[in-house]
Amino acid sequence: MATYVLRRLIQAIPILIGISVISFLIINLAPGDPTDRFRSGRVSAETIANLIRLYGLDKPLPEQFVSWFTAFWQFPFRSDAWGFSFVDGRPVVEKIFEKIPTTLELMLTSLVLTMIVSIPLGVLAAVKQYSWADKIITTMATVGYALPSFVLGILLLYIFSIKLNLFPSFGRHTLGQESSFPDYLRHLFLPVCSLAIQQIAGWSRYMRSSMLEVLQQDYVRTARAKGLPGSRVLYKHALKNALLPVITLLGLSLPSLLAGAAITESIFTWPGLGLLAVQSVTTNDFPVVLAIVMIGGMMVLLGNLVADVLYGFVDPRIKY
Amino acid sequence: MERIDTTVATRTGATTAASGGDEDEVDLIPVRTYWMLVRQRFLQHRLAVMALFLMAFLVAIAIIVPTLTGDAYTKTSLSKAMQPPSLSMPLGTNQIGQDMFLRLMKALQTSLFIGFMSVVIIGLIGVTLGALAGYYGGWVDNVIMRFVDVILSLPVFFMILIIVAVLGKGSALVVVIAIGLTGWTLACRLVRAEFLKLREADFVQAARALGASNRRIIARHILPAALAPVVVAATLGIADSVVAEASLSFLGFGISPPEASLGNLLKNFEEDIQVRAHLLVPPSVTIVLVVLAASFLGDGLRDALDPRQRVESK
Repeated sequence: MATYVLRRLIQAIPILIGISVISFLIINLAPGDPTDRFRSGRVSAETIANLIRLYGLDKPLPEQFVSWFTAFWQFPFRSDAWGFSFVDGRPVVEKIFEKIPTTLELMLTSLVLTMIVSIPLGVLAAVKQYSWADKIITTMATVGYALPSFVLGILLLYIFSIKLNLFPSFGRHTLGQESSFPDYLRHLFLPVCSLAIQQIAGWSRYMRSSMLEVLQQDYVRTARAKGLPGSRVLYKHALKNALLPVITLLGLSLPSLLAGAAITESIFTWPGLGLLAVQSVTTNDFPVVLAIVMIGGMMVLLGNLVADVLYGFVDPRIKY
Repeated sequence: MERIDTTVATRTGATTAASGGDEDEVDLIPVRTYWMLVRQRFLQHRLAVMALFLMAFLVAIAIIVPTLTGDAYTKTSLSKAMQPPSLSMPLGTNQIGQDMFLRLMKALQTSLFIGFMSVVIIGLIGVTLGALAGYYGGWVDNVIMRFVDVILSLPVFFMILIIVAVLGKGSALVVVIAIGLTGWTLACRLVRAEFLKLREADFVQAARALGASNRRIIARHILPAALAPVVVAATLGIADSVVAEASLSFLGFGISPPEASLGNLLKNFEEDIQVRAHLLVPPSVTIVLVVLAASFLGDGLRDALDPRQRVESK
């Protein structure tokens, strides 16, 4: 197991380098350079030339990449490893690490909610295939899937915040009020729902087809034929196997969760990584954008690794 | 998400449709070509046929209405600001007096155009790279597939954001490029899989024996046989691209006013939702309709193009 994890980590290195090269190249396509904001009458041409030399901007691109890349991985130890924000001059490491927990709160709560809701729904739809329950679940899943996250967010905002006034419409806690846990939960509710509903739609469809496939297997028929009670066949024999692909789904959902987080956080002004990304793109704060893409890439890689390891853990047929 | 769904649905589709006894029926049924069968299977799929009509309708009004009314959708008139829906202006006006019906039609045109164009780019890149990887194998395959791995590990939406930020916000061309450059991996893998399967097929061997060049074999012999999954993926891809464009414009990085897109009609939601929520309904519904039409159309095409699916004889 340990060697497998190690091997997967080593395999991830070229992919990480690939992500870095692509992001770095795209950022370098940006018009102008970081010294542009100093270019005014008051700063002499000589100072700017010095700055360019200081930042290493006169070196060839591959050399710039290597120095950026080696500095990047020192982030646990150096606060200037990812450079400084163009907007407020704060170290990018600091700006990003204070947002990561907020985004994880949102994403993980949504994932848990997704699993709690979609697995039973998918199983129900599969077991009672072609029944009314199945038709309703499948239709809801199709509609939920077709609702883009911003439409869904606005809809939830309108119903629960504006019309019913049940939940607050922005932020993590009520302004000018002592932050309390119930207050925090009330703020978390709408963003989590808006992020989870789309995932639930996809997951329950997936769960349904996974369960349907397992129910057709010979061993399920055998279990029924030898007289085991239906519920036992369902939960002990079928569900266990139908759940396996869900683990892969866990890893694969991360990119769409991150994308959803960017939009959901913007709608509900949830101060996380997604909102920071959107704000940084708006203000052309390239060091922050670059770092967020890298962090996002690492999350996706890590998510897939965790999913693969988990898969091996629960499925004895998989050998490392 | 779409990616996962596709594979599962194809697999279950294949198992349920595995049919025996076709050989016995051969003599009884009049000869039907592949495309006749495809059409028949498609027509049996009621939702897909409805989706086709819906899509055709959406495309038609998106072309006709803005062409007839010219640039009236940008015209502001403060005396007509914030009017409720009426006979002459079925969706009312916004706070600067623009006719929301005309804006919606123009937005539909823009969003569909960007959606279709992105899919064209996705198809071009995906088919080319997939064909090369599948046909040549070896190091070509290795390089291309590692590249695919990298793109798949990127947080796609952030990547689109970064490209738009660098190449310029607010341009339709940039949006198309950003969606196209990040979205081709599925098409590439599908085409590669087909090429891997077909490159050793008898008809390819025959072509090779007749002295056909590699380029001719790829373009003339294998590609037509390998396109079915790409057509399906492209149709489903329209939905994804339209949503991606709308999301970008919603966040303010895609199409910006005075131009209209399904996303930027919702951009002002914080204010609109309080006082004129009715303005938010038509664009939202339209996006959902586009997505539903594209996905049902894709589902129908997938079943229709799958030669293993049975056709019920009339």
